[in-house]
Amino acid sequence: MTSSPSDTEATVHPLQEFADSAAETVGGEAEIQFDTIKLRVSADKWVDALTTARDDLDLVFFSWLSAIDWANDVEAGDPLKEEIEERIELLCTVSDLTEGRRVTFSTDLPTKKPSVDSIVEVYVGANWHERETAEMFGITFEGHPDPGPLYLPESFLGNPLKKSFPLLSREVKPWPGSVDVEAMPEKPSTENPEA
Amino acid sequence: MVTDTDLVRHLSEAQVSVELQTEEMTLNIGPQHPSTHGVLRLVARVSGERCFDVKPVIGYMHRGYEKLSEVRTYPQITALINRIDWVSGYANEIPFIVAAEKLMDVEVPERAQYIRVILTEMARVSSHLVFMASYPLELGAATPLFFALRDRERVLDLIEGVTGGRFHPNFNRIGGVKPNAGSGPTTKKTPQDLPAGFLGETNDAMNVVLDTCEEIEDLVAGNEIFRARTKGIGVLPAEVGAAFGVSGPNLRASGVKFDLRKVEDYLPYDKFDFDVVVGENGDCWDRWWVRLEEIRESVKIIQQAIDGIPPSGPLQAKVPKVIKVPKGETYVRAENPKGEMGYYIVSDGGPGPYRLKIRSASFSNISMLSWILEGVLVPDIIAIMGSLDFVLGDVDR
Repeated sequence: MTSSPSDTEATVHPLQEFADSAAETVGGEAEIQFDTIKLRVSADKWVDALTTARDDLDLVFFSWLSAIDWANDVEAGDPLKEEIEERIELLCTVSDLTEGRRVTFSTDLPTKKPSVDSIVEVYVGANWHERETAEMFGITFEGHPDPGPLYLPESFLGNPLKKSFPLLSREVKPWPGSVDVEAMPEKPSTENPEA
Repeated sequence: MVTDTDLVRHLSEAQVSVELQTEEMTLNIGPQHPSTHGVLRLVARVSGERCFDVKPVIGYMHRGYEKLSEVRTYPQITALINRIDWVSGYANEIPFIVAAEKLMDVEVPERAQYIRVILTEMARVSSHLVFMASYPLELGAATPLFFALRDRERVLDLIEGVTGGRFHPNFNRIGGVKPNAGSGPTTKKTPQDLPAGFLGETNDAMNVVLDTCEEIEDLVAGNEIFRARTKGIGVLPAEVGAAFGVSGPNLRASGVKFDLRKVEDYLPYDKFDFDVVVGENGDCWDRWWVRLEEIRESVKIIQQAIDGIPPSGPLQAKVPKVIKVPKGETYVRAENPKGEMGYYIVSDGGPGPYRLKIRSASFSNISMLSWILEGVLVPDIIAIMGSLDFVLGDVDR
């Protein structure tokens, strides 16, 4: 049922054939992680790749579009264990409506002034998803018909889902939950921790 | 004395002035309006009885769960995601937990899988019963509300009996479901999984739900006003719905025979015999009818699961005490009462996700409001919005 990258090398994943043919049609690199096909394309091919997916691969259902901020310095949450190349990864999942095949398209954008062409012309449902991603990550979607904040008020400053954006409630008071995941103390302490 | 000529002149002037009085106005609906199921605001340009350029304004309930998830551990996040679509809180947990289990390569015991199926389908029944209650009410028929909410309360009581929560069960754990109160390593009580008599009572409750479906159908389906208000109103073609990301019963009403329970393997739905209900025209009537039939299909699944559930067995796979999810990314989606709900987890091997993308059904479902409400009559706004069955918590996250 489940698979890990090491499994896929030993035995061929049932989705491998579809992933390879999709990668060939679209012109990108496919990778299967835990039953999810991720297809990497370059940012200048973003719109072309999704147009091909819709027209040639029959992936007519628009599922979602979002991004990941790969950053070495984080203000909220745990930092990455290894140093990585800082970038913003744009993701878009589309699916067919017969066999349930789905592909997550991925492209890398620079952390500074990320910008990419809008896919609203291809999948009209990307409209709100791109507006959300734009305000949360500071990505500019060129050619978006109705840009502007979706969730946040007009006056809001910053991009909340960027790793450089602090979570103010945590700045004021650290979450006691972090105690839960630390190693158990060797001896039970008699002192009252943080009364 | 008024002459005939004067009278004719007066009349014609009156006629002219009536014609001239049609002017466009901007109509604001919400954010507090009973038909919006939360805090949704619509701004529409109204010309006569028709509305144009409808602009939904959302975000009044944006709680930032994706950011909050980045500073929480996996077990803590299930408490948050219960509150996304609160009408079917239990169903929200499933895709997230399954995604985490996929990354950890945990095999869930069969009995726990069956309990998950039963509770997920009960959440679907209760969610659709809310729709069965509220939708006719919005169109002026109050009686079905009492029938539907009475049975929904019975279903919620049963869910509460197992999980301890009516709306926010927080019952799933990575590797299985929560053992009941009173058991555990610190007490000597024997672990008790389901409350005594739960399966029998659920079976009875489901038979009552089937009867209620009949009653609701009798009350509503033959109602001339209800038919006139819904048939041919708010037609959504399948290809438009797909491009907007409309999913679930709303898309199936447009004739798309696609159900994630049939194509994804997040729960063992392949063991159960049930039909995927589709509509013909994609109008408000079909969206109502598909949900009514889906209640009956869910009852079928629940009753089969009650018959087939292993009589005993573990509820939890062996998982470490401190959950750490190995490095990896995956997307798991599930057929929720409102449509496709999925979670894209990016894990770095830590106790919490590096990034969690929440794909909620209602967000995509109502992103097409501007399209479907273009040029419709003002009273049909309520009929169409009601038929989409959205929850604002599921829109704003």
